[in-house]
Amino acid sequence: MKKCVSLFLTLAMVLSMCSFAGASSLEGTYDVTLWVGEKAVELTQKQVADFNASNTLGITINATVEAVSEADSATQMVTDVEAGADLYCFAQDQFARLVQAGALMQLGAGASEFVRTNNDAGTVAAATSGDAVYAYPLTADNGYFMYYDKSVIPEEDVDSLEKLIADCEAAGKNFSFEMQTSAWYLASFFFGTGCVSDWVTDDEGKFISVHDTFNSPEGLIAVKGMKKLVDSPIHVSSSSGSDFASNSAIVVSGTWDYDTVSKILGDNFGVADLPSFEVDGTEYHLGSFNGCKLMGVKPQVDAVKGAVLNQLAQYLTGEQGQMERFETLGWGPSNLADQASEAVQNNATLAALIAQNAYSVPQGQIHGSWWDLAKVIGDDVKKATDEAGLQTALDNYQEKMAALFTMSDDEMNGWTVIGSINGDGWTVDLPMEKGEDGVWKTTEAYAMDAGVEFKVRQGKSWDNNFPAENFVVETAGTYYVTFDEAAQTVALAAE
Amino acid sequence: MSEKNYTGASMKRHMGLQASRRIGNTAAYIVLTLISIIWLIPFVCILLQSFRVESTWQVGYVIPQQWGLDNYRNLWNTDFPKWYMNTLVMALVTAVLQTVIVLCMSYTLSRFRFKGRTFLMRFMLILGMFPGMLTMIILYRVLKDLGMTQANSVPGLILVYIASSGMGYYVSKGFFDTIPKSLDEAARIDGATRFQVLKKIILPLSKPIVIYTVLTAFMGPWGDYVFARYISFGTSAGMNVAVGMYNWLNKDQIASYYTMFCAGGVLVALPVTLLFLWLQKYYVEGVTGGAVKG
Amino acid sequence: MKRYSDLEYLKLSKGKRIGYRLASFFASIPTALKNGLLAVWHFLQNLGAGIGREISDLVTTFREGDVPTRVSYVIMGFGNLCRGQILRGLLFLLFEAVFIFYMVIAGGYWIQMLPSLGLQGPTKELDPILDVYVTTYHDNSFKILLYGVLTIFFILAFIYTWRLNIKQNRIAMKILKSGKKLKSGKDDLRSLVDDQFHKTLLALPLTGIIIFTVLPIVFMILVAFTNYDGTHDGYNNNLFSWVGLQNFNTMLSWKGSGGQSYAATFGEILSWTLIWAFFATFTNYFLGMLVAMLINKKGIRLKKMWRTILVVTIAIPQFISLLYVSKMFAQNGILNLFLLNMGWIDKALPFWEDPTWARVTVILINIWIGIPYLMLITTGILMNIPADLYESSRIDGANAWQQYTKITLPYMLFVTGPYLLTSFTSNMNNFNVIYLLTGGAPTNPAASSAAGTVGYTDLLITWLFKITMGAESQYYLASVVGILVFVVVAVISLVVYGAMPSIKNEEDFQ
Repeated sequence: MKKCVSLFLTLAMVLSMCSFAGASSLEGTYDVTLWVGEKAVELTQKQVADFNASNTLGITINATVEAVSEADSATQMVTDVEAGADLYCFAQDQFARLVQAGALMQLGAGASEFVRTNNDAGTVAAATSGDAVYAYPLTADNGYFMYYDKSVIPEEDVDSLEKLIADCEAAGKNFSFEMQTSAWYLASFFFGTGCVSDWVTDDEGKFISVHDTFNSPEGLIAVKGMKKLVDSPIHVSSSSGSDFASNSAIVVSGTWDYDTVSKILGDNFGVADLPSFEVDGTEYHLGSFNGCKLMGVKPQVDAVKGAVLNQLAQYLTGEQGQMERFETLGWGPSNLADQASEAVQNNATLAALIAQNAYSVPQGQIHGSWWDLAKVIGDDVKKATDEAGLQTALDNYQEKMAALFTMSDDEMNGWTVIGSINGDGWTVDLPMEKGEDGVWKTTEAYAMDAGVEFKVRQGKSWDNNFPAENFVVETAGTYYVTFDEAAQTVALAAE
Repeated sequence: MSEKNYTGASMKRHMGLQASRRIGNTAAYIVLTLISIIWLIPFVCILLQSFRVESTWQVGYVIPQQWGLDNYRNLWNTDFPKWYMNTLVMALVTAVLQTVIVLCMSYTLSRFRFKGRTFLMRFMLILGMFPGMLTMIILYRVLKDLGMTQANSVPGLILVYIASSGMGYYVSKGFFDTIPKSLDEAARIDGATRFQVLKKIILPLSKPIVIYTVLTAFMGPWGDYVFARYISFGTSAGMNVAVGMYNWLNKDQIASYYTMFCAGGVLVALPVTLLFLWLQKYYVEGVTGGAVKG
Repeated sequence: MKRYSDLEYLKLSKGKRIGYRLASFFASIPTALKNGLLAVWHFLQNLGAGIGREISDLVTTFREGDVPTRVSYVIMGFGNLCRGQILRGLLFLLFEAVFIFYMVIAGGYWIQMLPSLGLQGPTKELDPILDVYVTTYHDNSFKILLYGVLTIFFILAFIYTWRLNIKQNRIAMKILKSGKKLKSGKDDLRSLVDDQFHKTLLALPLTGIIIFTVLPIVFMILVAFTNYDGTHDGYNNNLFSWVGLQNFNTMLSWKGSGGQSYAATFGEILSWTLIWAFFATFTNYFLGMLVAMLINKKGIRLKKMWRTILVVTIAIPQFISLLYVSKMFAQNGILNLFLLNMGWIDKALPFWEDPTWARVTVILINIWIGIPYLMLITTGILMNIPADLYESSRIDGANAWQQYTKITLPYMLFVTGPYLLTSFTSNMNNFNVIYLLTGGAPTNPAASSAAGTVGYTDLLITWLFKITMGAESQYYLASVVGILVFVVVAVISLVVYGAMPSIKNEEDFQ
C-alpha cells in the first residue's frame, strides 16, 4: 500500500512538473529511435502505440524500433553517440562505460525519484553512479542458475557439484558452465566462498577505487572447487541453452534461455539454483551475479525532446510495461509492485532465480576491463597442476588489478591545483607544469573571484599538499597558480 | 602422348610405365575423391540443415528427421529480403564501377610510361601495407558527413568499395602486360588515338580479365562484415546479408535462428556460385594470366 | 661468404646448394636493409634539392617574366587568358576562387584549431522547468583533425596548381619566343584522349585513393600522437589532444605496468603472426600445387569436375563457411559428437580450447580455404612448363620426384616468387579467417592486460581490432599498433625483395 502511495506521489509530482511547464509544451510529434533486444521488438512497438494512445500530454511518438542486442548496444553507442538510438536497452555491466562515454542522460530529480521508489535496491544501485541516476531499470533477471535434463540427473543430486559431475560422467553427457570465456559466470565460485569485488565510482562514472578479495585464502578455496569442474572431461565452457541439443545434461544459464531449453527438453525439463561444492570437508554454495537490464536515454540538446523521452522511458519501464514484458517474454521485473504479484511469484524459472538470489551478489558498477582480466583466471586454473599453480592464477589476477589504478611516475610526482576555481567543488585537478626554474605553474590562467580557495597537491592525493591552510584569493582577476617545490610556497601570478 | 614405334627395351619400359601410371591414377582418384568430400562436407551440411523442420537450434546429427521449406519461408518474415536486396544492389553496382576503375588503373600502368609512374606504383604498394582496420573509423565519419550511413549505407558502402579499388590493379596489369605492345604501336602508326587503341584493340582481347574483375568485385559485398556493420550502425534497413545474419548467431537468438541462418546462407551462396560455374573458364584464364606477372 | 658463379653452383651437391642459398639469403639481408634505407635517404635528399630548384625557378621566372606572367603570381590563369588559352586560364581561375572561398568559409577555422584540437568539450546543465539535463556540444576534436588534414591536402594541391600555373607561363613565353603556336583549348581536350590519355584514366581512381585511403591513413598515423579513446572521443565526453610520443613510450617500454608489458605482448603476437603467415602461405602453396598437379595428371578424367568442386568453395562467402566450420569444430560441435558417437575418442578434442590445437586447426582450415585459389593459379603456370622438358628428363631416367624437384619446383618458384611475398604479407593481415574462426581464442592469460584479452590465435590485425572495439576503445593504442604492423610488413617486404635472386624486369614480358 505504501508503495502505491509513493508511486502515486511520484506520478503526481512528474505530472505537476509538466503542468507547471504547461502540459501543452510537450505536445507534438517526435521521431524517436529505440534499440531493444530482438525478442522485444514487437512488444516495444505495441507499447509505444499504447503510450501514444494513453498519454494525456498530447505526445505522439513516431518510433523506429531496431533489434540491437543488450550486449551489443553499448559498443555501438560508444562508437558514435550522435548516431545512436534515443532510447536503448543494455546490460548493466556496460553502465559505467556508457556514462563515461557521455552516452547516457543524467536523470532529473523527479525521474531519479521515480527510479528509486519503484525498483528494487540492487537495480537502483546498478543505475546509479555516485549520487546521480543515469538509467531506468528494465528487468531484474540478469542472473544465472541451472537447467538440467531430468532423464540424466536425479533430482536429489542437484545440490552437489560433485554428484552432478559424477552423474554426467557416468552418462557420457556434458556439463556446460562458461568458465574459460566469461568472468560473469566464473565469479560464481568466488562469491560462493565469500570473496568480494566492490568498485566505487564518482558522479561522472569514473572508477575511483576497488575492494577486491579474490586473491585470498577464500579465493584459493574457490579455485580448488573450480578446478574440480574444469578438469572433468565432460566440462564444456559454454552457456548456451541449445547445448542440450548437443549432448549436455546441465547448462548454467539464465531466464533468456527458458524458451529454448523447455522446447529441447520437453518433459525432462528441470531447473534449480546452483549446487554446492566441497573443499576440505566444507560445503560452499555457488554464488552468482544478480544483475539487471537498463534502459538509457541519450543526452539531448533539446530540453523538450529530453522530457518527452523521459516520459516514454518511464512508461516503458513502469509497472505496467514491466508486467507486459514478464507476461510476453518471461523477463523478471525490477519493479517492486510487479515482483510482489502472484504471477511472478509462481513462475518456476524465476523461482530458481530467486532461490539462487539468496547466494547472489548484486552486480554494482564494475570496471570495463575487469571482465577481460578476470576471465583469464579460468584458463590459468585449467592449466595449473598443483596448489602453487592455482595460487599463481590468483597472483596474476591481482597484479593486473593493481595495474588498473596505478599512475605513471610523472603523475605520481606531478603537482596539481584543486579547489573552488571555476566554481568547482574540489573535484577537478588542474594540471601544472614544471618550468625551467623549477617552479610549477598551471598550464593556463584561470579567472578567479575574491574568496576562491584552493590547494596544491602531489600525485592527486592528499599525502603532500600546500599551503597548510587553503590559499584564499583576495582580489578577483585572472591568474596562474605557481608552486615553488623547493621553498614549498604557493603564489598567484597575473596573466 | 603419341604412340610411336619403340625398340624392345624402351617398349618394355613403356609397358611398365603404363602399369605404374594406372596405379598412380587410381591413387590420384582416391585422393581427389577424398579432397572433394572434405571440401564439400560443410556445404552439404549447411544445405541439409536448411531443410530441417523439427528444430531450429544446433543438433548433433546432420540428416533432418523432417524435411521442409519452413526455414526459407520464415526468411520472408524477417528483414532478410531487405538485406538481400541491399547486397545485390551493392554487388551489381560495385561490379560495374569497380571494373571500370581497376581497368583504367591497370591499363594505364601497363601501357603508358609517364613521369611518376614508378613512384605511383611504389606508393600504392606502401599504402597497401597499412592495416586498413583503423581507417574504418575515419571513413565512417566521412560517410556520415555525406549522409551515407545507417539507413543510407548502401550508396556509402558502394562509394568505399570502389573508391580505393584502383589499388587492386596487380592482376589485371599482369594480364595487360601479356598483350603484345606491338599491337598498340601498329594502330598508333595508323593514326588511332590512345582511346581508340583501348576501345578497338585492347578491350576485345581482354574478355577474361574483365570477367575476372567483374566476378571478384561482385563477390566482395556478399562477404563484407566488419565494415558494413560499422556503416549500417544498428539500422536494419541499411544492413547487408552478412551483418544481418551474423546477428542471428548471437547467444540469445541462435537457438531460434540457426536453421534460418543455414537457409539464408544457401540463398546467399546461390547467385555467386551460379555465376562462378558459368564464368569459371574466364576466371581461371584471368587469374593465371594476371597473378603471376604482377 | 664465398660467391659461386652459375657453373660452380650447378656443380655443388644438393645439400650444399640449399645451404648456399640460405646463406646468401641471410648474407644479403644487411645489404638489402642498407639499400632500402639509402633509397629513403636519397629520396629525401632529392626532395630537398628539388624544392630548392623550384624556388630559384620561381624567382627567375618572376624576374624575367612579362606582365601577364607576373600578374599570374597573384591571379592564377591570367597569363593563359592573355595568351588566348581561355580554357586553361578559366580552370586555373576557378580553382583559385574555390580555394579562397573554401579557406574563408571553413578551411581557416580547421587549420586554426588544429594545434589545440578544440578548446571546449560538451557542457551539461539542468533545465529547471522540465527537470531535464540538457547537453550542449561545442568543439569536435575528431572533425578538427579530419578536416584540418583535408585542408592541408587542399593547400598542398593549391600550391602545386599555383606552381603549375607559373610553370606554364614560362613555357608559353618560351614557345612564343621561338615563333610556334600555343595549344588551344581544343588541342588540350583532344590530348586528354590521346597523349595525355593516362591523366584522364587515372583521374578518377587516384582521387578515390587519395580521399579514401591516403587521407584516412594520414589521420590514423596522427591519432597515434593523441589520446583519442572511448573517454576522449572528442565530442560527446572529453576532447582529445596531442600527447606527443607518449603512446609509443607506453607501447614500447619494457617496464609496462602490471602483468606483461605491451611490448612483450606485441612480441608474442608478432611471433605467432609470422609463424602463421609462414605456414598459411607455404602449406597452401605446396598443397595447392600438388592438387593442381593431380588434376593435371595425364589420364585423369573429369578434370573440369574436380576443379569445379574446389572452385565452388571460393564462391561461398567466408562469413557463412567459416562460421559454420568454426561451429563444427567446437567442443560440442558436430565433428566431436560424431567421433564420440563412433567411439573413436572418449573425450571431446579441444580444437579451440587448447592453444596448440587451436593454432594447428586454424592453419588446417586455412588450407581448406586457400587450396582452391592456389590450385587455380598454379594450374595455368603448370601447363605453361614446356612439355619436352619432362619428356627428355624422363628419357634420362628421372623419376616423378626428381622431375618435381628439378623442373617443376624451380620453374614455379621463379615465376611465383613475388606472388609468394604478397601472399605472405596479406596472410599476416588475414583478419577474416582468425576473426570468424576463433576470434583469437583461447585466451592467453599472460599476454592479456588492461588493454583487453589477447588470445593464442590472435594476429596483430585482430588484436588491433580488439583494442579498437574493446571496453576502452583505445584508438590511440590501436593506431600505434597499426604503425608497427606497417613497419614490420615493410621491413619484411624490403628485405625479401632486395634478397630475391632476380627481380623480374617488367619490360621483359612485353
